Amino acid sequence: MELVCIGLSHRTAPLVVRERLALSESRQVEVLQRLAQSPVEVLWVSTCNRVEVYLSAPDGMLARERAVSELRALGGDEALDHLYEHRGEAALIHLFRVASSLDSMVLGEAQILGQVKDSFERGQGAGAVRGELTRACAAAFGCAKRVRTETAIGRAATSMASAAVQLASKVFDGLKGKTVLVVGAGEMGELAARHLQQAGATKLFITNRTLARAEALAMEVGGVARPFEELFSLLGAADVVVCSTASPVPLFTRENVGAVGKGRKGRPLFMVDLAVPRDIDPGVGTLDWVHAYDVDDIQKFVADNAAARAEEAHKAGVLVAQEVARFVKERALREGMPVLARLRQRAEAIARTEVERTLTSLGDGLTDKQRKSIEAMGRAIVNKLLHEPTSRLRAVGPEGEGNRLAGAAAELFGLLEAEMEAADSEASSMAPVPQQLATGAKR
Amino acid sequence: MSHTLVSLACHAYGIAAVAYLAYLVRQSDALAMAGRVLVGGGLVLHGVALFELLGAQSGRPVGMAQGFSTLAFLLLAIFLALDVRYRRPVIGAFLTPLAVTVLIPGLLMNGGQSPLPPGVRQPLLPLHITLALLGLAAFAVAAGVGVMYLLMERQVRAKRFGLLFSRLPSLEFLDTLNRRLVVWGFIALSITLATGAFFVASTIGWQWDGKSIATVVAWAVFAAIVNARIFAGWRGRRVALLTMAGFCLVLVSFLTSYDVTSSTAAAMRIP
Repeated sequence: MELVCIGLSHRTAPLVVRERLALSESRQVEVLQRLAQSPVEVLWVSTCNRVEVYLSAPDGMLARERAVSELRALGGDEALDHLYEHRGEAALIHLFRVASSLDSMVLGEAQILGQVKDSFERGQGAGAVRGELTRACAAAFGCAKRVRTETAIGRAATSMASAAVQLASKVFDGLKGKTVLVVGAGEMGELAARHLQQAGATKLFITNRTLARAEALAMEVGGVARPFEELFSLLGAADVVVCSTASPVPLFTRENVGAVGKGRKGRPLFMVDLAVPRDIDPGVGTLDWVHAYDVDDIQKFVADNAAARAEEAHKAGVLVAQEVARFVKERALREGMPVLARLRQRAEAIARTEVERTLTSLGDGLTDKQRKSIEAMGRAIVNKLLHEPTSRLRAVGPEGEGNRLAGAAAELFGLLEAEMEAADSEASSMAPVPQQLATGAKR
Repeated sequence: MSHTLVSLACHAYGIAAVAYLAYLVRQSDALAMAGRVLVGGGLVLHGVALFELLGAQSGRPVGMAQGFSTLAFLLLAIFLALDVRYRRPVIGAFLTPLAVTVLIPGLLMNGGQSPLPPGVRQPLLPLHITLALLGLAAFAVAAGVGVMYLLMERQVRAKRFGLLFSRLPSLEFLDTLNRRLVVWGFIALSITLATGAFFVASTIGWQWDGKSIATVVAWAVFAAIVNARIFAGWRGRRVALLTMAGFCLVLVSFLTSYDVTSSTAAAMRIP
C-alpha cells in the first residue's frame, strides 16, 4: 500500500482558498465515502490553517487523481495551484509533523493534535480509516505525545499579552482569586484583558482616561470599568497591573507606588508596562514587593522563547524522524512476516518428511537416543539455513528494501502463489504482494 | 537485615534523585513518576527497617547514625506527601539529593549502637525525639523550599528567563509552602522544647549548654518568623533567609544532642 498526502495549508494557500475547502462535518463524511472505496483508505484533516487528504492505496497515483479532482470540485482550479504533495515516507513524516504541531502557524500550539484526532475518528466512523491509516495515525499521536512531553515546544509564549500572563504565573500560583487592573483601554489593553480573563483572573478592573472606552471594553470582556481618578486606590487592591496608556510621562513612580505599599502588608504586586513611552518608572521595580516588567523585558522573554522554540523544534524534528523510522520498520516487519512464516512452514514440512523417511528406512534397530538425534538434526538444518534470511528480513528498516527482500524470498522459494491465496482471505489492508514504495516529496 | 534494607532504600533514593534532577532538565511525566515510585518504595523498605530497629529500642533512635536515618526517612515522607498533594515534582530535584546526603552518614556510621541506659527510660522520650526529628525534617524541607524561592526570586528580579525560570514553581507557591512547613515545624519544635525542658528539669536540672541554647534561639527565630508573617505581613526573601538560619540552628541542636561532651547528653547517659 502506498501512502500519499495531498493538501494545502497556511504555508501555501491564502485564507480565501482555504475557506472554500473548509467543509462541514457531514460534507466531509460524504467526500470520505466517495474517495474511500476498498481497499483505499482516506483521512481528511481540516482545520482553519490546512486541508489535507491522506490516502493509503495499492495504486497511489490513481487515488491521488481522484482526490485532486475532488479538491478541484470543491475549491476550483485556483486551489490546485496551492497544493503540495508528499508520498511514501515523506507523507508519513508530514503526518507526524502536523500532529506534533511542527507545521503549525504558531509552532507548538496544542489544538492541532485534537483536530487531527477528530478527523481520525470521523474517518473511522465513516469507514474510511481502517488498518493502515489507523496504525499510521496511532503512531503519529504517539509521536505528538513524545514531542509534547520530551520537548518544551508547547510551553512557549506567543504574544506580548500572553507573555505577560506567563510572566505573572511565575510570581503568582495562577490568577484565580487575584485582582487584575488594566490601565488603558486601547488595543493592547484589550488583548491583555482578554488573556488575563482567560487565565482565570477573578476580579478584572479596567480604567481609562475616557471612562466610556473603559466601559465598552469592560462590557466586552466581562470586567468592571472604574474612573481614572481611582487609579491609586485600585492599585492598592490589585495583584496584577497591566498598563498601556499613551501618557507621555510615567503614571507610576517609586514614590506614588511606594505610598500605596503601606496598606498592602508586603503583598506582592506584578506590573507589566506595554506602553512606549513607559507608564512605569524604572524605579518602581526597586521596591521590594513589586515585580515590574517593561516592553523590552517582555520582548526578551518572547525572544528567549523563540530561540528556545527553534531549539525545541529541532529536538522535535529528531523525535519525529525516530518515530517514523520505527513505524516504517515495524510495517516492513509486519509485511515481511507472512513470507517468513510460510518459508519456515515449508522448510519444516520438508525436514519432517525427510526425517520420517530416513527413520523408516533405518528400521527398528535405532535407539531412542539415535532417533532423537536424527530429528534434532533435521530441525537444526532448517534453523541454520533460515537463520540468515530471517535476521536479514527483520533487520532491514526501510520499507523498499524490506519489501524487495521479502518479494525475492517469496519468488525464489515459490511462495508467491500460496501468499496470494492466503492474502485474499485476509483483511484488505494488508499487502498481499510486497510493493516497491515511492519515497520523496514534490510540491 | 535492617542495614541491608536501609542500604537498598538509599539506592532507591539515589536513583530517584537522579530521576528528579533529570526532570529538572527535561520535563517528562515518566521521570516524575519514576522518582515518585522510587521514593515510595524506598520509604517502605526504610520504614520496615526503622520499625524493626526502633521497636527493639522502645521506640527511640539511639546514636547519631539512627538519628540521621530517621531524619532522612521523615524528610522524604514529607516530600512524598507534598508531591502527591501538589504535584510539583521539581521540588524533588532539591529535596531528594538533600535526603540522600543526610542518609549516607547514617549508613556509614551504622554499628555504633549503645545499649539504652536505664536512667533515660522516660515514657515520653520517644515522643520527644520523634517530634524533634519531625520538626527538624519539616524545617529542612522548608529551608529547601526557601532555597528554591531565593533562586526563583533572583531569576524573576534579574529577568533571566533560563531553565530555572521555566521549571521552578511560582514565588507565591513556594512562599505559601514555606509558611505551612514552618508553622508545622514550629508546633513540633515547641512541644519538643517543652518535653525536653521537663526531662532535664526532672533529672539534672536546667543547664545552658550548647544544645539548649541553640534550641531556644532556633525556637525564638521561628516564633519571630511565624509572628512576623501573621502580624507584619512578612514574606518572600526575608522569610526564606530566616528559615534557613533557623534550620541551621535546629541542626546544631540536633548534632549536639549526640555530642558526648555535651553536659546534658553526658548526664542523660549516666544513670
